[in-house]
Amino acid sequence: MTTETAVTLPGGEMLTWSDQRADAGNRPLAALVARLVPPGADVLLAGPVDPAVLDALGGARVTALLRGYPDAAALAGRVDRVVAAGATCLPADEAYDVVIAAAGLDTVESVEGPRLGWDGVLARLAAAVRPGGVLLLRLDNPLGVHRLVASCGWYVGRDDAEWTLGGVLDQSRPANLDQLRLRLDAVGLRVAGSYAGYPRPESTTALLATDELARRTTSGLFEAVLQESCTHGYTGRFVLADPARLAVDALFAGRAGDLAPSWLAVAHRPPAFGPEPAMSAAGLPTATPTADDGRLPVLLWGGGSDTRIVEVVDGPHGWHWHRPGPVAAAATPAPYASREIAHLDPAAPDGPVPDGRLLHNLLLDGCLRRDTALLRRLLRGYADWLTHQAAADPLTGAVALAGVDNLVVAGDRFAVLDPSWRVDDPLPVDVVLARALWRFATELLTGGYAHPWTSTLDAIGLTVVLGGVAGRDFDRAVVDAALDVEAALDVDAAVRRIREAEHRDSRGADRRGGPEAGLRTVTSTDLPPGRHSYQQLRDAWLRQRDENTRLAAALSWTEDLLASREKALRRAEAKLDLLSGTVSYQLARLAVTPARIARRGARAVKRRARAAITRKDGNRE
Amino acid sequence: MHHANHFYGHAHVLARYAGLGDGHPPRINGYVQHGWNIGDGLAPGHPYAEGTPSLLWSEQTRRRAWSVGRRNVTVIGAPFGYLLAMRPEPQSPPQRAGTIWYPFHGWEGQHVEGDHDRLIAQIRDTEPGPVTVCLYWHEHRMRRVRRRYENAGFRVICHGYRGHWWSGTDPDFLDRQLTELRRHARVASNRLTSAVFYGIAAGCEPAVYGNPMVLADEDPTFGGTARIRRQWPELHGEQVHLPTAVEIARAELGVDHRYPPAALRELLGWTAAVHKEEA
Repeated sequence: MTTETAVTLPGGEMLTWSDQRADAGNRPLAALVARLVPPGADVLLAGPVDPAVLDALGGARVTALLRGYPDAAALAGRVDRVVAAGATCLPADEAYDVVIAAAGLDTVESVEGPRLGWDGVLARLAAAVRPGGVLLLRLDNPLGVHRLVASCGWYVGRDDAEWTLGGVLDQSRPANLDQLRLRLDAVGLRVAGSYAGYPRPESTTALLATDELARRTTSGLFEAVLQESCTHGYTGRFVLADPARLAVDALFAGRAGDLAPSWLAVAHRPPAFGPEPAMSAAGLPTATPTADDGRLPVLLWGGGSDTRIVEVVDGPHGWHWHRPGPVAAAATPAPYASREIAHLDPAAPDGPVPDGRLLHNLLLDGCLRRDTALLRRLLRGYADWLTHQAAADPLTGAVALAGVDNLVVAGDRFAVLDPSWRVDDPLPVDVVLARALWRFATELLTGGYAHPWTSTLDAIGLTVVLGGVAGRDFDRAVVDAALDVEAALDVDAAVRRIREAEHRDSRGADRRGGPEAGLRTVTSTDLPPGRHSYQQLRDAWLRQRDENTRLAAALSWTEDLLASREKALRRAEAKLDLLSGTVSYQLARLAVTPARIARRGARAVKRRARAAITRKDGNRE
Repeated sequence: MHHANHFYGHAHVLARYAGLGDGHPPRINGYVQHGWNIGDGLAPGHPYAEGTPSLLWSEQTRRRAWSVGRRNVTVIGAPFGYLLAMRPEPQSPPQRAGTIWYPFHGWEGQHVEGDHDRLIAQIRDTEPGPVTVCLYWHEHRMRRVRRRYENAGFRVICHGYRGHWWSGTDPDFLDRQLTELRRHARVASNRLTSAVFYGIAAGCEPAVYGNPMVLADEDPTFGGTARIRRQWPELHGEQVHLPTAVEIARAELGVDHRYPPAALRELLGWTAAVHKEEA
């Protein structure tokens, strides 16, 4: 064994290779690690690790196994030991309380030395888990949402990291959660829990318990998390179809776990001689005893409108929020971070997660089925609820900020799902309603969703119409005020993109007027903000084609009508000419001529008199 | 604007409701359904520009219109419903009496063929109180037809001229009709038509009986009177179950689909008109 500085080099390191990627991360895993790893535990980090996970390990004794020497060198000094090698060089006599393979097993195998294959690497890592210890293992899903929306086939990969390609053709690699369980079982590990990782394998912002995903298919919380993570997780990426739509549809079908881009298995090796005192109810070691008796969280979410990780845990009274505090600084600014109008509530309650369906999806469903009675009930209920919340005053707090994507409905009850963000400036109820409806109208129009209204409505017009469905008679001025609030909140990158696109646009004088003008010019032929999906591009093109057809037909109809009216006018003029040549017309004209002359003379006298008075007044001054 | 939008003063009623006053209504960006029908909501034979919005009375008509190839169809409810919103029934309405009877009418292009005398006899036999017969302007101008009903002892009225090619529209047509309907306890006709639904919405007990008569060259595309009787048997007869009739009328007139003024302005394409007025 050769030791160079603080990096152990047993052989098999890749001298110039790095697995660190700027867009990778898994902050929810960091929260799970903080929950699971007790102080003083021996931990093996196999493969690249999010810095947030490293921070979460706190007082643990950490060994890192990295195949790329530059990564190992960068980590030296930050952990107890760094080994630069593939899994084959992991010392056989070493065992750990916790082994974490956060990027899966492919990144644990080096190009140097003999190949172990996926199951070979698993056997090696599993052997390093001591009795009572835990393995946290990520497995990428060959049929995940990311694969279904990918613009390139997985089998065409020829990047540097793809010196071999793993997929469903690889018999040594499990292709679903059940197969993974069997493989773990075969190496003596028991799966205590598993999570679906969204939105992409290499960038996880949400870990959702797979058993609950299959069971709670109408959970508004899961709808919101999948919608948010898949919308923002693919921003700026070219995909075939909207991954958020696919993920939420999968949830409703009970398949969100099956279509997860990756899974995280929490497996443990049963203790050699009965359970140890520090074990939790789930048979896992816990860092801190909690009210939920050490049960694994239902959800760990780090990509929402919160700079912190939020957890949802199942307690005696159902699901409730748990906010363990920041496990790492956010890599990107939070949505409202630069604005003073909204702030993160430091005392956001660890209260119950309200039950119900997400209003956003209920409204979409009502639009698709043209169930206007349902839409009326929902929107009137929402408007009434806002009014009730406001009592006699304008709205503040989380209610004033929450859009339809953060509201859940159970029966006739409405509730804010995640009340972390608040506004202090009081906002009128109609402005709050108009802002939420404008955001929904924008999604409805640019997403190409079928709906009960005409294609001639722009986003602002549709907002006014939705306001009408809600029983409110507000006009464009109110929507304008709501868009001022929207611009001030700078709620997400999508809005910024609209503005950028519209600012560049020169479709007309009314489209100019500064960056905020883009918010006011969204039409049904625009693309969804921030998303580049082939399907949505094509849908937008079809909408533009339909609009052109409509306008061409209207133009042709108008031309025909104009021709017909011109013909009628010519006939009328001819009739007038004819009538003006008749004797009776001439006689009548002669009769009125003196009167016309007299009127003309009277006007001239009046004009002269007025001029004389004006002159006189001027001389006096 | 399509000239049919002016029929019966519909555009005027909508403009008044939308807060645009009593003046000439701005151009509507679409076709407003101008009468209850069992087709796609548009009058057969009317010129139609593809993709132009159809602004229909009821959800059922919207579904039917979609199924026969119409697109850009949306339900706004009948203009008469907006009139009801502007003129709610007074708290202590005057006593209603008698029946207002609408013999099925033709129009400028299609005349009605049928036996008026037999119909008059049946009305006399059926209606318990005084009868007001409301003729379409076309038949009201036909002295021979009018006299028949007058000689039978009926009060004969006409709500006005519906208008044609943008001229002669009586803006108060529907107002006058509502006033008359509210004077009567019953509304009746020999065919299920808009007037019967208006009457139900205005608080009358409906009845549909008698020879439905025949429209010259009647278009059988949507099934004609036979289909109407098949699909709405509850509304036919000298006595009709009122709660059922009220429910059906509410749906057919799209009363629940009415929009507040600002939303209606958007749907009719009148926002620009408002801005011009403000400027």
